[in-house]
Amino acid sequence: MSVRSSTLLARKSLRARLGRTIAIAATVVVGVSFVVGSFVLADSLRATFDNLFAEVNEGIDLEIRSAVAFGDGANRDPVPLAVADTVRGVDGVDAVVPLVQGVAQIITPDGDLVSTGGAPTIGTSWAGDDSIGGLVLRDGSFPAGADQVAIDKATADRESIGVGERVEVITEIGRRTYTVSGLVGLGNTDGFAGASLALFDLDTALAVFDRGDRVDVIDVTVVDGADVATVQGRIEAVLPDGLEVITGEQVAEETADAVGGFIDVFGTGLLIFAFITAFVSAFIINNVFAITIGQRLRELALLRAVGASARQVRRMIVVEAVVMSIIATAIGIVGGIAVARLIVALFNAAGLGFPDSGTVLAPRTIIIAAIVGIGITVVSVLVPARRAGRIPPVAALRPELGFAAINTRRLVGAAIVTVLGAISFAIGLFVRPGGSWGLALFAGGGALLLFLGTASMSAAVAKPVTSALGWPIAKLFGTPGALARQNAGRAPRRTAASAAALMIGVALVSAAAVFAASLRDTFVRTLDRAVTADYVISDSSFQGLAPSVAETLRELPELSAVSPFRAIPVEIDGDTTTIGAVDGASIEQLLNLRLIEGSVDGLVDGGLLVNEDRADELGVGVGDRIEFMLANGDVNTLDVGGIYAESAVAGNLLMSIDTLESINNQPPRDFFLVARLADGVDARLADQAVRAAVADLPQVEVQTNAEFRRQQEDQINQLLIVITALLLFAITIAIVGISITLALSVFERTREIGLLRAVGMNRRQLRRTVRWEAVIVSVFGALVGIVLGTLIGIALATAVPDNIIDSVSFSPGITVFIVIAAVIAGLFAALYPSFKASKMSVLEAIATE
Amino acid sequence: MRMDPSTPASAATPGDAPGEAAVAASTTATVTTAAGTIDAHKLYGHDESLVRALDGVTVGFERGRFSAIMGPSGSGKSTLLHCLAGLDTLSSGAVYIGETYLANLSDKELTELRRTKVGFIFQAFNLIPTLSANENIMLPMMLGGESGDADWIAQVIDAVGLGDRLTHRPSELSGGQQQRVAVARALASKPQIIFADEPTGNLDSRAGTEILEFMQRAVAELHQTIVMVTHDPIAASYADRVVFLADGRVVDDLADPTPEVIFDRMRNLGD
Repeated sequence: MSVRSSTLLARKSLRARLGRTIAIAATVVVGVSFVVGSFVLADSLRATFDNLFAEVNEGIDLEIRSAVAFGDGANRDPVPLAVADTVRGVDGVDAVVPLVQGVAQIITPDGDLVSTGGAPTIGTSWAGDDSIGGLVLRDGSFPAGADQVAIDKATADRESIGVGERVEVITEIGRRTYTVSGLVGLGNTDGFAGASLALFDLDTALAVFDRGDRVDVIDVTVVDGADVATVQGRIEAVLPDGLEVITGEQVAEETADAVGGFIDVFGTGLLIFAFITAFVSAFIINNVFAITIGQRLRELALLRAVGASARQVRRMIVVEAVVMSIIATAIGIVGGIAVARLIVALFNAAGLGFPDSGTVLAPRTIIIAAIVGIGITVVSVLVPARRAGRIPPVAALRPELGFAAINTRRLVGAAIVTVLGAISFAIGLFVRPGGSWGLALFAGGGALLLFLGTASMSAAVAKPVTSALGWPIAKLFGTPGALARQNAGRAPRRTAASAAALMIGVALVSAAAVFAASLRDTFVRTLDRAVTADYVISDSSFQGLAPSVAETLRELPELSAVSPFRAIPVEIDGDTTTIGAVDGASIEQLLNLRLIEGSVDGLVDGGLLVNEDRADELGVGVGDRIEFMLANGDVNTLDVGGIYAESAVAGNLLMSIDTLESINNQPPRDFFLVARLADGVDARLADQAVRAAVADLPQVEVQTNAEFRRQQEDQINQLLIVITALLLFAITIAIVGISITLALSVFERTREIGLLRAVGMNRRQLRRTVRWEAVIVSVFGALVGIVLGTLIGIALATAVPDNIIDSVSFSPGITVFIVIAAVIAGLFAALYPSFKASKMSVLEAIATE
Repeated sequence: MRMDPSTPASAATPGDAPGEAAVAASTTATVTTAAGTIDAHKLYGHDESLVRALDGVTVGFERGRFSAIMGPSGSGKSTLLHCLAGLDTLSSGAVYIGETYLANLSDKELTELRRTKVGFIFQAFNLIPTLSANENIMLPMMLGGESGDADWIAQVIDAVGLGDRLTHRPSELSGGQQQRVAVARALASKPQIIFADEPTGNLDSRAGTEILEFMQRAVAELHQTIVMVTHDPIAASYADRVVFLADGRVVDDLADPTPEVIFDRMRNLGD
């Protein structure tokens, strides 16, 4: 038998078993689609932002900004506006454009905030005719004067705002009304990847963002023919200390890197789910091929008997798989584009603003799709193919020389794999050799081994467990139930293998559930223990609050204490950390710091409070001094005024807002505020007063302690829902897998089904038998998954630092939900095989050999 | 179940079927017909490839007797059995079991009929591998949610003579024992008629003899009705009557046959 005959046989075999081939191919298609979708989405997002920033930075030759001593440049000091005049005098400089950027929230004519779905609401300055960059006027004119604003055309169109209309915009100085002077776009597009843009002239921008005479950066173009590097050198020579001048290319690169970093994290996250899906597909493919080869025992043995070598039989099986996987991969690549859109829809539904990006299908994506699609199929088919090659020719005559059941050697091997997986997983989580790469490698690899080992080991318990699970079904549903129970237990390895795919999905959901429950409970406990404030006030779009909000609230007699939270990055002894800043005078009313030593007066006196663990690390006590460096390179030294135990909200180091403002030059912005009601006030009236005080600022979210808690809990739940939704791909494949396995079992039991029908089982009873078998198998998979996933979740929760998760919690509700979902999954999986079984002709069934 | 007003027992008087059994059926008041066909035709394929598996078969099988259907390969004997048992449908003509014409029954009613009125014994694979011998015997009653006639079942189980092996799975029983369980399963629901399709085909001669004797006893002592398809003259000689088929027609009908006579007839059919 030549290669050609292997191919011929493979092709014929594929065609003869079309239904099953399609089903296996479908699992490959879903797996590949998800992998491709992840890449397409990340690449498309990256391309969108790259284009956006390329347009924004278009034409900038040089940029002047403050230098940073450490960090990624997110905390740069502003640049004095006077520097612009200095630079204008430099030989070779053409335009000098100072830039200010801040948060500007536009109010629609209906009085609502313009919704960007999570994207930023940008306010920026327009330097007049000198301006550089890709901003293009679409309608009207650029803003000029203190009461003019231009907005981006995409937002204007969406909210039906026209040139000449009056709109309100909330900035650092509060809510003001401006006249829309014009609508702008960026290059060829009307929008900014979902963000809204409000454009003011420079003086207005300086005023509304409360910057005095300092700007963020100064952009520069050189005169035609001048050498950029030469001009850069000349500017450098005249710049005051602490400022630097960089090229436009570097600006573009840095912005792209910053956004790219986020997209990489996001893309990697998606890829993890994609590979889980592919891994589950591999399980199904392996199982289906193994069963198919078992069923084709006679045919394969006959081939061997008529002279095919073991290698040829092996090759036939592999060729079959490869042909199928190539077609499936091609479909999967197309499907990936649809999956990318689906994921965008999913994330947007969860409230994340995703820009409507184009579709980028990189050659790299296609190569990886081929590796995954063809790779998983070939790997999954290797073991079954080897087994097929080992079939003795005599099996053609005596098919009972089939495959052995579970043997102890296999079981010991599976146990070893499981233990190795657990050890590797634990090393990854707790030791983390080599940082996050070690974590990913050991924990990821360990989890993989854990799943493989558990899947294999679960065959040993499949019989007793399915028997136990089937007991109530046998009691409730009579003979069909009893038969279902016994069928589920008759091929433990097959049952375990087809349940394994579901097991993996369920294990991951369970692990996430334990993690989320622990996170939530720790958070709630922390809130109860550490926070004595009555209100949490924050910005609904997570862009922070202008300090004026805190000022407004402080004036309310109903509130006895209001404190903002800020933080700045610092370097202590060469390590980067952050110091939090709160209102020193009132923090004792708002947070329970559990002071061990000293007093909060240390804050008011311009000192630091230090968490006890951190104090131990630094070797400092009350009265000692801590030296730290700010991002701009300034070095400060502060006294330790107290040591506290409760770090959950306060962090490790605290200073007062006053101290922060005295050493920090960056424009102030509060992360959030906490406030406490004055003693003796009517809580209901006070609540109305607090809300009324910020009623004209719709972005300000005033929440009572309980509301804040509920919102945070909701967010954790939402995260869990997103994780589960991403795992749905894997779970769908698992259901398809159970369906195929069961259909193959039904096919295998044709004779038996014929007999049952002949002696009087009606179609309904037959469907019921198949249906409950599917339910038993899927609940079995779910149970193994719940046990394994819960253990993984406990490990994860334990590995996380105590200030995030201090003890493990469980959510029995989710476990119950999973079991119910598994029953429903089983019912779905049974649809096709039970239909197939009930449509069998009795006569043909009993005539089958 | 739907009943036909004209009872097949009277309509089944064979017209052109030769043989003594037909005469016995019409003349002996105590013997009634358990099942039969009237002018049964079964066609497969079209035009040139048309095969007449049954070509006008009218035959009745009497209650309380052990009948055999014989014929060469392709004579239509298995098709006749399948049609009689309601597993296959006729192209034209009628089939009845007891007082029921099968043509009018839905799939559900047919299933019900098979469960309550008919017993089956196949050549092989008679038992559900996941059920014990005892459970296999009880299967038709279990499917109907009934417990059956306890005394009768005890009698049948006693006759099977499996003793403590009743709780064993089929894979732990010998071929002969498995077939005995199959016969017991067919008997247990006290059907009106039992159809056996080459019940000894897969057994060695000793086990085969055991089964045939068991079936004979079931008819003689337990007053059951059995129709058996076989190609083995020795097996057929255990029956009270042998109907011969060739090319889809009834060609002969023997009462109380001996192996020698059957051999003789078969040889003639072969010519």
